[in-house]
Amino acid sequence: MTRQLLWRLLTSIPVLLGVLLVGFLMLQVIPTDPAIIIAGPSGTAAEIEDIRRQLGLDAPILMQFWFYLLRVLQGDLGRSIINNAPVGGELLTALGPTIELMVASLIWAVPLGILLGTLAAMRRGQTFDRVVTALSVAGVSVPAFWVGLLLLQFAAFRWQLFPLQGRGGPLWTFSGMHHVALPALTLGLIFIGPVARMTRTAVVEVLGADFIRTARAKGASEFRVVTRHALRTALIPVVTLIGLQIGSLLGGAVIAETIFAWPGIGRLAVGSIVSSDFPMAQGCILVLACGFIVVNFVVDALYGLLDPRIRSKIR
Amino acid sequence: MSTEMTALETAKPAIVSRPYLLRRLARDPLALVALIFLVVIVVAAVLAPMLAPFDPYDTNLRMRLRPPSGQHLLGTDTQGRDMLTRLLYGARTTLALGFASIVVGSLIGTSIGLASAFYRRLEGPLMRLVDILLSFPSILFGLALAAMLGVGMDSLVIALGLSAAPPIARVARATAASVMQAEYMDAGRVIGLSDGALIRRYLLRNCAAPIVVYCSLQFGETILLAAALGFLGLGLQPPTAELGSIAAEGRSFIFLAPHVSTAASLLIFMIVLSCNLLGDAFRDLTDPKLQR
Repeated sequence: MTRQLLWRLLTSIPVLLGVLLVGFLMLQVIPTDPAIIIAGPSGTAAEIEDIRRQLGLDAPILMQFWFYLLRVLQGDLGRSIINNAPVGGELLTALGPTIELMVASLIWAVPLGILLGTLAAMRRGQTFDRVVTALSVAGVSVPAFWVGLLLLQFAAFRWQLFPLQGRGGPLWTFSGMHHVALPALTLGLIFIGPVARMTRTAVVEVLGADFIRTARAKGASEFRVVTRHALRTALIPVVTLIGLQIGSLLGGAVIAETIFAWPGIGRLAVGSIVSSDFPMAQGCILVLACGFIVVNFVVDALYGLLDPRIRSKIR
Repeated sequence: MSTEMTALETAKPAIVSRPYLLRRLARDPLALVALIFLVVIVVAAVLAPMLAPFDPYDTNLRMRLRPPSGQHLLGTDTQGRDMLTRLLYGARTTLALGFASIVVGSLIGTSIGLASAFYRRLEGPLMRLVDILLSFPSILFGLALAAMLGVGMDSLVIALGLSAAPPIARVARATAASVMQAEYMDAGRVIGLSDGALIRRYLLRNCAAPIVVYCSLQFGETILLAAALGFLGLGLQPPTAELGSIAAEGRSFIFLAPHVSTAASLLIFMIVLSCNLLGDAFRDLTDPKLQR
């Protein structure tokens, strides 16, 4: 188990390097030479040359990449072109709200999705199953921004049930929950479909297994068969698949943040790309990609922990 | 979605004759409706310049945000342009974008898939690369490429193609691996064909059908992603009519004139839903394991 995790950790390194290379290249496309900007309008050619040397801009590109790696490892991601704020600090303040939004969406969408999927699997072929299947196909097909816009238009504007936009404070306060409700609803609604669908498939498969027949033969109630025998087995692949779906959740988060002006990292990323703030965009992409690698790693580790068969196989 | 993908990967690519498939498909009313809708939309998008009642770029600020009327069947948008015209042209752009991206994605994906099936030594590293690409959120490709290459058509098509490529590569590899078992591959080698000729004349041709089917299944998801990027302002720039950016333009006026965003979003939803319904029906037909 530990060996497998270590191996995973090791193979993540090239991926991380690739992500950093993308970040580095993003900074290379800046059309203007930073040395000219620093030297100012009165800077002479010699001064500019001097600054270039100080910044290491005259070094070969590989050396520059090396310098870039060192800087990033020290947490120095540069400064925003727009307001000169350090990118690292801005990212840190934006990361919290994004995680908050994701947690607020997963916390209701995953249990509900699993419940719907399980019930659909138990009533396979019946109306309820058809409805759940239809809803999950619709959920996979609906543009996330439309869900957000509809909620904004009705729940926030017409019925005045929720604030229009922004964050209202920590999750545990009323204002915080009130503000997070609509973006979390948007994000959760597009996530329920895939979860219900995966759960249904997994439970249907497990319900055909021999040990389920045995459990039924022993006289266990249908409720017990499903919760104690079927779900415990079926949830293992579901947890992994949910973990892998975090990527699509991230995509939804970018959209939900943009619609509801949620001060998260997705909105920051889109804003900085649209306004050509390359250092900020680079930082956002780095954080999003690295966060994603970490989530994948945790999901892999969880998979081993949840499934004793995998644990013993590796050992 | 990855669930659909795994189902398709585990299934042996069944080669079923086309008329048979169509006949089976016709028995599934939902899939039939989806197919007809898609055909109508594609024809309307192709014929947009002939069908559209107005010019898509003809602004008229005095006629802004009008609700549907006899003259403008779907009302007008934020610049007073006819919505029906904008939607027709928007569908044209979005569908073309999706098509170009799938072509790019299938080129990348098929090359990787065939190479890893043909040269077994490349299989490990190439499939690892595919796993990594597959694990990254597609929206991140869109963001990163827009940041690197600038916002526009090129970065959009590459980003969409890159996010469509990994699952295509998997299917291509699985299909090619089974074709590699065939005796005619050995026969080709024996008569002294070069690797290139073997891949082109034997491998690719025998893999093409399932790969093409799978690529078309990816279409809905690609359109959805294209619309999302367009909505975020990372797609084609105004005044180009594209469904995602039409929805975004209407967003600022969502309280005054919701019909602009709603019409564009609804159209995207219908297109993607039709693609997915059709895809599901196809999967059920070609995958005996999933048949109820």
